[in-house]
Amino acid sequence: MANEVIFKNRDLDNLWDIEQYRSRGGYEILTRILTEKTPPAEIIDGMKTSGLRGRGGAGFPTGLKWSFINRSAPGDKYLVCNSDEGEPGTFKDRDILRYNPHALVEGMLIASYVIDAHRAYNYIRGEFWEPYERFQNAIDQARAAGFVGKNILGSGFDCELNVHLGGGAYVCGEETALLESIEGKKGQPRYKPPFPAHVGLYGCPTVINNTETLASVPTILREGAERFRDIGVENSGGSKLFSISGHVKNPGVFELPMGTPFSELFELAGGMRDGSKIKAVIPGGSSSPVIPGEIMMDLTMDYDAIAKAGSMLGSGAVIVMDESTCMVKVLDRMGYFYHEESCGQCTPCREGTGWLYRIVHRIENGQGRPEDIDLLMDVQNRIRGKTICALGDAAAMPVAGMLRYYQDEFQYHIDHKKCMAGTGA
Amino acid sequence: MSEEKTITIEVDGQPLETKAGALLIDVTDAAGINIPRFCYHDKLSIAASCRMCLVEVAKVPKPIPACATQVMDGMVVQTRSPMALAAQKATMEFLLINHPLDCPVCDQGGECELQDVAMGYGSDVTRFVEGKRVIPENNIGPLIATDMTRCIHCTRCVRFGDEVAGMREMGATGRGEHMTIGTFVAHNINSELSGNVIDLCPVGALTSKPFQYRARAWELTRHTGVAPHDSVGSNIQIHTRRGEVMRVHPHSNDAINEVWLSDRDRFSYEGIKSEERLTQPLIKKDGEWVETSWEEALETAASGLREIASADADQIGTLVSPTATLEEIALAQKITEGLGSPNIDYRLRQEDFRGNSRAVPWLGQSIASLEDVDSALLIGSNIRKDQPLLAHRVRKAALKGAKIQLVNPLQLDLHFDAAQMVSDPAGMVRNLAAIAEAAGGSHHLTEQIEVTDEHKAVAEGLKCSKSTVILLGNIAQSHPDFTILYGLASVIAKAADAFVGVIPMAANSVGAAVVGAIPNKGLNAHAMLENPRKGYLLLGIEPGLDINNPALARAAMSGAETVVAITAYRSPCLEETASVMLPMAAFGETSGSFVNAEGRWQSFSGTTGPAGESRPGWKILRVLGNLMDISGFDYSSSEEILDELRGAHGGELQVASLGAAKGKIRSAVTGLARIGETPIYAADALVRRAASLQETEEARDAAVARVNPSVAADAGLLDGEKVAVVQGEGRAEMVLKVDANIPDGCVWVPAAVPGSESLGDQFGELSLEKV
Amino acid sequence: MKVFIDYIRSLFLLELLKGLQLTGRYLCAKKFTIQYPEERAPMSPRFRGLHAQRRYENGEERCIACKLCEATCPALAITIEAAPREDGSRRTTRYEIDLFKCIFCGYCEESCPVDAIVESRTYEYCFENRGENIMTKEQLLAHGDKHEVQLAKDLEAQAPYR
Repeated sequence: MANEVIFKNRDLDNLWDIEQYRSRGGYEILTRILTEKTPPAEIIDGMKTSGLRGRGGAGFPTGLKWSFINRSAPGDKYLVCNSDEGEPGTFKDRDILRYNPHALVEGMLIASYVIDAHRAYNYIRGEFWEPYERFQNAIDQARAAGFVGKNILGSGFDCELNVHLGGGAYVCGEETALLESIEGKKGQPRYKPPFPAHVGLYGCPTVINNTETLASVPTILREGAERFRDIGVENSGGSKLFSISGHVKNPGVFELPMGTPFSELFELAGGMRDGSKIKAVIPGGSSSPVIPGEIMMDLTMDYDAIAKAGSMLGSGAVIVMDESTCMVKVLDRMGYFYHEESCGQCTPCREGTGWLYRIVHRIENGQGRPEDIDLLMDVQNRIRGKTICALGDAAAMPVAGMLRYYQDEFQYHIDHKKCMAGTGA
Repeated sequence: MSEEKTITIEVDGQPLETKAGALLIDVTDAAGINIPRFCYHDKLSIAASCRMCLVEVAKVPKPIPACATQVMDGMVVQTRSPMALAAQKATMEFLLINHPLDCPVCDQGGECELQDVAMGYGSDVTRFVEGKRVIPENNIGPLIATDMTRCIHCTRCVRFGDEVAGMREMGATGRGEHMTIGTFVAHNINSELSGNVIDLCPVGALTSKPFQYRARAWELTRHTGVAPHDSVGSNIQIHTRRGEVMRVHPHSNDAINEVWLSDRDRFSYEGIKSEERLTQPLIKKDGEWVETSWEEALETAASGLREIASADADQIGTLVSPTATLEEIALAQKITEGLGSPNIDYRLRQEDFRGNSRAVPWLGQSIASLEDVDSALLIGSNIRKDQPLLAHRVRKAALKGAKIQLVNPLQLDLHFDAAQMVSDPAGMVRNLAAIAEAAGGSHHLTEQIEVTDEHKAVAEGLKCSKSTVILLGNIAQSHPDFTILYGLASVIAKAADAFVGVIPMAANSVGAAVVGAIPNKGLNAHAMLENPRKGYLLLGIEPGLDINNPALARAAMSGAETVVAITAYRSPCLEETASVMLPMAAFGETSGSFVNAEGRWQSFSGTTGPAGESRPGWKILRVLGNLMDISGFDYSSSEEILDELRGAHGGELQVASLGAAKGKIRSAVTGLARIGETPIYAADALVRRAASLQETEEARDAAVARVNPSVAADAGLLDGEKVAVVQGEGRAEMVLKVDANIPDGCVWVPAAVPGSESLGDQFGELSLEKV
Repeated sequence: MKVFIDYIRSLFLLELLKGLQLTGRYLCAKKFTIQYPEERAPMSPRFRGLHAQRRYENGEERCIACKLCEATCPALAITIEAAPREDGSRRTTRYEIDLFKCIFCGYCEESCPVDAIVESRTYEYCFENRGENIMTKEQLLAHGDKHEVQLAKDLEAQAPYR
């Protein structure tokens, strides 16, 4: 597939080796930028043209984010790559770290050059041991080749790359909690403003980008921003990694242009397992509201289309569920996840996620009460938009999504104390 | 955004003028618009985590926290719009679902922020039907009672520890619902400012242990007062019920104690109810103490002193405690003068009087200005323990980047960055002289001194800053070479263009000096004991504990004909030395005034009646004056005395030199040198009897002898072993503690603790013996 | 005309007969008068008589020294002092009701979160000496112990209306 940006030539051996990477044009663009001393503004313009939006879930335009950093401000600036891939259903960054770590190294170096950072951190999820080793190895190789460290390629630009292995908290995927974690503190999100672009890591201006975002940077610059933009659709430039899982035949990571119809992605994943029928799809990781299968089949995978359908593209983590799935149980599990992963700092999330979980758990276990559906709706509404970070919203939105399409299942659970979908998930 | 620019915002339809960049909640508070809050506290950093202060701001889609929002020109805020109210009520519900609602047994009931806000924003029925969270009990010491099940995770206590107390003793562990505020590893809260978390805690999670279950906020009558221990003169509220002091709270005063209060000032009220309170006049008849009437006791006291005075007035010596009120000290001074004696002093812990000056030792500047210094040199001061809230000001300066340096006879555990120069007591003088020389000053000692790089660095630190202050603390004042230290400090100050000041020891040290409790031509505190007098008048003093050389004091007084002790407490050393004990009203029971370290006169009134037959000190002294036929004792209230004093001494304090001696260094010893600090909870009679404070680790660890490992090894002594401290004739058995903070050749043996009554000078030669 | 008719009627002593009719009816009706103290009037479960303090079934006193009764008492008749008991629980060390001050309004009972202070059905008591008007904690508890069965029944009867 010619459109692939990050996973080009995934079938080659030793894809993670620097020689292999260089043989495919790796580090060329970094070398060019450093030797030609390309003005950072030019690179930022390129990023803006490419239409690259943050791949971590929020979809913030990358070029714009970089442009917020005041390069001439005194003191240190930092680049942080967020590889704390904790969102249930997402496993794309893991594969980047495993199969194309040098793209990330190069992307991080370029981004550091743009914002004038001399130290960049990659915050890798604690459970990712193999990806961590691959990435650390890539850094070592890049350092040996002179791409990392002092006076890179004689350009006078210094940049150190460090890896920080997380401690296993989902909330540390939130950018400011991630910064706290790197600083050695308890992983709790900070109140914004001030945004990290002004007060970030150790109080210095900081850019935080997702792994996929940064790994796309070298290709975009090498092959031209327009080309990248044209791969995708309007407002959603380029290609994107989709982690598809659930009741499909071939779950895995697929790189497709933005705006590809869902049905195409679904086909790539081999369709439903065991000939079952599709029931529902969570299109962007567990925090995005669920969409019924039939609606999903008509959607294209880009930010706007999914948003129009009432959900989010998020990190591109597609979870497909077949007809045997009990939606109450799904929400029960997700509720438990958010309840366990709330950092506990702010009230609505600390108390609310536990409450939501308990209500759903009660319904699931045949102890639901008639007023519980209204209560669920009300509690999720009381969490939403009132928390410091997005975890509260992430816990609340799936509840609203579930109740939007599958209220009858919840009602059935409450009325009959058993599941409508038969066996359960 | 310019900080000075004035902008206009609109809150609930009301236009408000304010400075750009101010926090919305501060602006609304100033305008009297109430926004509920839990985590916000104006002296702490912003957490924005309780989400109670959510308000609606025009053009912002979500409700935003007022405590973390800076105002901008033209901002339109709704604090009670449907969106804001819905958000506030939502937060309230979330806060209450796991709150036990055990208000009837909770000490915070009636003064609980959660209770108050729940009245406005809470619902009367709960929709939460599951089991509530329960946190196991944990014991964090004798001062603070915990019930973390009630905690609403505002983290004020955590931030206080981090930002104000400078000791991160509490923290949040666990995530989400399982987040718990606690000590993580079980230990006591040992900060000397720990009691403030009781005030900060908006709910009943942290409450006062001594006050536990004893009264409700609504039964208490509040009286403003002044704290009776350190020289900060913290403003306090004394809460009484039915004529009994129930507790003490801080009264905010930004110029003095801000909103804080040290534990000593907060919990010492327990001493009022001590069993050792003297409630009946006592006279010694044939070596036995008998209770008597006021008439007889006063008559005995008056005639005893008068008799001695008529023979030789110089045989009368008056010692007053610097914790006594201004009025009491003034009357004691007047009586002494009326008897014709020139001997009166309040500097009980001072040994070196060579300067021979009547200048008032004080801070030399305002307390608040301490936090703006760029550089400070503290000489002989354990400031954190001696003056906790002054230390807080210094800490603030240090956090702002000021260079704080200390010359001390022991390494201190400080809560701010400081360079500490530690040596034995005699070494302090040499170090200071070396610093003086390095700073370019001249002094008679400088020739014998070796100047090292360390001294040069200190001198450099002092010289390179714009506002520098040099302060002498408690240790310096008790030092055998205080006047030399002071003289050297003055030399350094002159060379470095700095201020030199003395940190007064007690609540009314400055006041005592102001009203003239310093001998002019008479004997000072030390001389009065070295040359024993026939009659002594003691005001609020326990001779074995309050005086630099208790052995000397006890010997002198035991041999005297008449010792009149006006005292709130009966104590073994008074029983041994006094001939008449007149029961005096204690803290909270008498009106009076204190002059604090910065020279501020602060008056207070009595809050409860004196215990038993005791009477306010000024009344006792007035009657004594009348009985001795001394004129000018016709006061009918303490205010009358105060008015007279204000007229005579009320002018502004001048920075004057205490005079520097050019004598020899007296602190040099051949054997081991004693470092006789006064521990924080042994400073005066009241705090020595405050039961809960005495149970703290700080107090329990106080009555020990400390030496460093090498001294212990030389003497063949082990940690925890019982040793005898021998100083001159005196001998005290104490537990030995090996402590690397003590310099070589020294033994830290505290003063004013049980066992120290028989020892000599706070700083002097001693030896250790195995028991 | 009306005057005339009234005059004629008065000749027949109708008012008198009407009055006698009422007398006659009550002559035969059930009697209200009771022979106190042999006989007693029925009492409402809400009767507000002499105070009592109750215990739990295990013998533990109910009162937790919350002081709401003291705060709510309009006559300032209640005096409480409290301190932690040895087991650390919140208990009163002094609980006194001055019966001279008490106006038997029942607010104390109303405010009590644990149904500790109640007003019993006892209304027959007297004081012979000064000071007996102060009911101490011990007296209150003893009184509660004596009437516990009745007190519990009365509280249950009132429960639906509280």
